[in-house]
Amino acid sequence: MKVSELIQKTGLKAFNEGTDKEIKGIYISDMVSDIIGIKEGHLLITLQTHKNLIAAANLVDVAAIVFSRNKIPADDVVALADKAGIKLLGFEGDTWSLAKKLCEIGSW
Amino acid sequence: MKKVSCQHHWTMTNLRGGHLVIEGCFHCRQRISFFSQEPVPPIDDYQEGEHFWSHLADYQASQFDLKCEKCSAEVPLKEIMALMLCVRCNRECGVYAACAQKKNQKTWVYAALCADTSHAAKKCIPPASLLALNEYFNQGIEDPTKKIVVVPCNLRKSVDTCQGIVLADVGLTELY
Repeated sequence: MKVSELIQKTGLKAFNEGTDKEIKGIYISDMVSDIIGIKEGHLLITLQTHKNLIAAANLVDVAAIVFSRNKIPADDVVALADKAGIKLLGFEGDTWSLAKKLCEIGSW
Repeated sequence: MKKVSCQHHWTMTNLRGGHLVIEGCFHCRQRISFFSQEPVPPIDDYQEGEHFWSHLADYQASQFDLKCEKCSAEVPLKEIMALMLCVRCNRECGVYAACAQKKNQKTWVYAALCADTSHAAKKCIPPASLLALNEYFNQGIEDPTKKIVVVPCNLRKSVDTCQGIVLADVGLTELY
């Protein structure tokens, strides 16, 4: 499933344009030290809005990032994501609720 | 008979969590860092020869090794304390020079940080480690315009003015 299709099905809020990539899997983590080990093409769900998360996400080539619990990235974070072509999305509810929603709409 | 070299396909192994600890010597102003797997990173001051090391900072970080899925070759990366994204802050920096953008290509440069931040021993990350890291981070990229380049940290012009983004956990209290 592509990121654009995910947005259509879930109503996630977009913070920027980003590249419409194919999502190969889902990874949930709030730690940069953990994210560095994920495979490319994953949708990253996190609470962490620090800029170094974008640096790590770019290195491991994520498909997109979803910030749960209504976390809003700062302008400099969005700017870095724009340079990297990483789409930043937002979800009002908690991570578990988002995970359940994603399970309902696709097999990852 | 010619030895057939493997086109490695690397996978991350031995992923270990810990802390990146940075220490400074008030005597000579050198800086070092090390990776500690202790649950609580050491913060005590200590003397080592002529050096008087004091704790400057610590960040939750991770280390890993690489293993080829095809030939089982292993590349331990214990010399790498962390990776740091170059933000192109200084045109005179060697890492900046590695960011040279080719036409229709977006190059992202990450510096591999070694323990000897001041490079007093004139050593840095081994070339074999850098080669494996470059292969690993590029092997899965499908976008032909995107390229990751990993360089040694001794290319940095200045540790003190570098604005690079270190891939370590900071700002965790801001999660709440």
